[in-house]
Amino acid sequence: MNVHQVLSGAGPHDAVSNQARAFRALFEEWGWGGADVAAGIDPRVGKAFGPLGALDPASGDTLLLHYSAYAPRLRAVLDRPQRKVLLSHNVTPARWFWDYEPRIAIQCALGRQQLPEYAARCDVVAGVSAFNAAELGSDRVVPILFDPAGLGAPRLSEPAGPPTLLFVGRLAPHKRQDELIRLIALLRDNGVPDARLVLVGEPMKPWYLEELERLGDALAPGAVTFRSGLTVEELAAEYAAAALLVCLSEHEGFCIPLLEAFHVGVPVVARPVGGIPEVADDAALLIADGDLAVVAELCRVVLENAALRGTLRARGAARVEHYARGPVAARLRALLQE
Amino acid sequence: MTAGQPAGEGAGRTLGGSPGDAAGPTPEEALAAARARAAAARAAGGYADLGGFRIAPKDRIGTDQLMEWAVLEPDESTMRSTRRLGAPITYFKRALLHVLRQYHGELTAEQTRFNMHLLVHVAELEDRIARLEAERGR
Repeated sequence: MNVHQVLSGAGPHDAVSNQARAFRALFEEWGWGGADVAAGIDPRVGKAFGPLGALDPASGDTLLLHYSAYAPRLRAVLDRPQRKVLLSHNVTPARWFWDYEPRIAIQCALGRQQLPEYAARCDVVAGVSAFNAAELGSDRVVPILFDPAGLGAPRLSEPAGPPTLLFVGRLAPHKRQDELIRLIALLRDNGVPDARLVLVGEPMKPWYLEELERLGDALAPGAVTFRSGLTVEELAAEYAAAALLVCLSEHEGFCIPLLEAFHVGVPVVARPVGGIPEVADDAALLIADGDLAVVAELCRVVLENAALRGTLRARGAARVEHYARGPVAARLRALLQE
Repeated sequence: MTAGQPAGEGAGRTLGGSPGDAAGPTPEEALAAARARAAAARAAGGYADLGGFRIAPKDRIGTDQLMEWAVLEPDESTMRSTRRLGAPITYFKRALLHVLRQYHGELTAEQTRFNMHLLVHVAELEDRIARLEAERGR
């Protein structure tokens, strides 16, 4: 069997490209062939993805479209006679970008407008979460193929040093790193004076990183660290040193960092948006309150209670088990072979 | 750890908790506990509001905002290379922009003229609709 993966864009650190690479490794294990192409390719990805024009499927092949951004050039793929499977990774609503990056806002707006049309023209439609699938009227879910091997074994002791809050995700408006910076400032002013914040993620644009750095310098000087382009070993070290993963994102299709934190044994506090409630289930403390004082106190409750952390750790391990490679791979295979 | 710092509790220690921790809230009780603590802290004068850069989503774009966006003023400093050691490429791209500034100036002026006139038409239509609705309502 040949499965060709088609992406709207391929980048060095984005979740969709990583997922396509993981799927390809799985296909090779199964003895399947095919090629991976993308409409836009970041020069840093190397040769893992070819240009869209290199797509040359035979009549019995399957095309797996990973949809995560507006890509008008993918429309030509829909005209091909081969069986087409669309996997939605979700597109962020444009409302988060209009004021900050008009080009991304337009792409998001058009991407969300285009997605139902693409779904209607594919033979099978699924999402990486039930949230994503439901947006397209589907109940087919093939979750993220989560491979924690690079993160090492779950940690055996609490991290030493000052309490460090961690968030992993692109520096973009809807991820609300601005709120996380305010949160760390509030924590430092209200009972946790040496709390630190580590923000791991590629900046949407250099100016956005500078704006967040300025905010960090103004509200919590020396307490906020920005890191990007990390190797998996460096990312593992950040998780190992974290007392808490805090996610105040306003939109997430799946949120892989939750599983990464669960694997390492880092307690999680998160907003219950998008795919987060189904991924976290009962293993994270979900908080919809807009008041950062409540978020800060929730963080303190976790930091002060080892028994609570122990319960969350055990539940997190169960979530990692739920997303184990074997069952997810079987769901993917069933989806592609049906 | 810093003296009196609650977050330091347990740091560096083997996982598993201790008997003294058993009285802590369960995950299901944690949020209620946090809300109560936040309310008490606020009542005691804690948690002052913080200003600075704050993200605000936009659902409805008003005419004033559209007017502002209609005027094209591309920022040359955003033109850069994402490649490793891309500084010479960035320099080349910006030099190219500089050479082509006359052409781009013409292009942005024409597009801005169109945008502005279109917005004026939209504003006039909005006024007209409002007037007609008011007349109809009388």
